[in-house]
Amino acid sequence: MTGDAVWYEAAFVVGMTNALNVVADGLPAGALSGADDRAGDDVRALFADIRAFYGGEEPAALRVLAGDPAYAADVWAAVKRAFDDRLLSRRLKESLAFAVCVTSRSSSGAAFHLGQMRRLGVTDAGVREIVGVTQMFSSYTKIADTLQLDSDMGDIAPADPTPAPGGPHAR
Amino acid sequence: MPTVRLRDASEYPELARKLFELSKAWFRHDFTEPPAMSRVMAWDPEFGGPHGRAMKRAMGPGEFTRGEKEMVAAVVSGVNACEY
Repeated sequence: MTGDAVWYEAAFVVGMTNALNVVADGLPAGALSGADDRAGDDVRALFADIRAFYGGEEPAALRVLAGDPAYAADVWAAVKRAFDDRLLSRRLKESLAFAVCVTSRSSSGAAFHLGQMRRLGVTDAGVREIVGVTQMFSSYTKIADTLQLDSDMGDIAPADPTPAPGGPHAR
Repeated sequence: MPTVRLRDASEYPELARKLFELSKAWFRHDFTEPPAMSRVMAWDPEFGGPHGRAMKRAMGPGEFTRGEKEMVAAVVSGVNACEY
């Protein structure tokens, strides 16, 4: 897990997971009308793509967002880019998202990403591993915060000297 | 600023100092002083011992690698807004 690129990927997964959860869990039921079967071709195509990506499932938040199809399409493009197989596998990304949901008490998000983890081959033992790490670091972080400890782990990983992708110094 | 005075490694009993050596091996890094959390956990070995064993068990390689688990840990720390 060296180099910055994998951490950018992880951060985008965390961000979009949280973005979907705030809509799925934060909005009161019926607060906004979403897209339904009477939606236009653009929305149908959007959800066909979403279901293809998730093996027939769809995050509940996207259905709500699709009341504004152009907005939903951009959100989906960002979600898909964040979760796609790149340097980090989809299997790990869904596991990161699951850890985010458990930590932030999003039951709906946890259920969705747990389903995706299983679809991508993670067994009960693997799920238990992610729950263990999530639980132990939920302890560790609160102990550190309660004692207001300063970070002393910053020197463990060297700084990544590579330029931004596509920048003037990129090869 | 910490709410407690973190003791230097030399202020801990011999057994705790051995655990600090293990912590160096775990992180594969030669700290000038053991990490603050290692020193916190060594304060009460009856708490820090089982907590450390559970942590080591959780972080060991299995279906997910140690590196993947470190990333999960970083993400959880981020969601918990923990800078440490």
